Amino acid sequence: MMNLHHLPNQRPNEHVVLFLRRHWFSLLRIGCAFALLTILPLSLLWYFWNSVSVWIQEPFLGPLLTMVGCMYFLSIWLFVFLEFTDYYLDTWIITNERVLNIEQEGLFKRTSSELDLASVQDATAETRGFFETMFSYGNLFVQTAGEKVRFHFKSIGHPEYVKELLMRHVQEDKQRVVHTKETK
Amino acid sequence: MSFSFPEISIPVFSFLGIFGLYMACYVLYSLFNIFHLVKYGIAGNGLFLIVFTFLGGTILLVAASIFLLLPYDWTYAIPLNQITDVFNENVAL
Repeated sequence: MMNLHHLPNQRPNEHVVLFLRRHWFSLLRIGCAFALLTILPLSLLWYFWNSVSVWIQEPFLGPLLTMVGCMYFLSIWLFVFLEFTDYYLDTWIITNERVLNIEQEGLFKRTSSELDLASVQDATAETRGFFETMFSYGNLFVQTAGEKVRFHFKSIGHPEYVKELLMRHVQEDKQRVVHTKETK
Repeated sequence: MSFSFPEISIPVFSFLGIFGLYMACYVLYSLFNIFHLVKYGIAGNGLFLIVFTFLGGTILLVAASIFLLLPYDWTYAIPLNQITDVFNENVAL
């Protein structure tokens, strides 16, 4: 288990400034998919109950249909939780010294990377589309000096605010690094 | 033109094998899911709530499946001839 007070490779005097997950709207999409995949077959079952009730009495067709139905609902439950796990384990942590990017892609791929704040060149907040504008969420891209690959904060809440906060800490960290070098 | 199978019957409990295989995959994926949540999740009550919700839902669904599947006569076997009879009747029409 990860503890926010004991980050991986934690440095002395390092503390968490911001802990981020994707916006709750991502969770709403999973919830809607779950509701649709559950309510739709149940509604069809209720509508065609006269026929279905006869079929499930059949000695051969009955167990087969019931088994398929059970497998369907178990699959939906598992699918929803796999999606939720994907959401829950995608995290971005901004500390006073680093940015940590932890991404879970499916069950068998996990990417964990970190970036020193002092090496951040610029950050771009992006809000696109109706829902992103309405619910104030979007993407944040963090660009470093030497790398082509940018840190991508996906569908986070209030990307503009996060960008401002990040850039403020980047400036502070750069000043701290310069100060440390001067005192040496 | 008519088809006929030899005197072979398919017992209904053979479908339980498929269900068992499915449940094995389900358990495997669930364990991987819980392992990821517990290993990489943020320590706290929220994490335990998530794991218990998933386990609770799974237990409820498996119990409902058992409850729905138990009343059937799993020793019943359908002769393959009966399946071809339906086909042959349609061809004859």
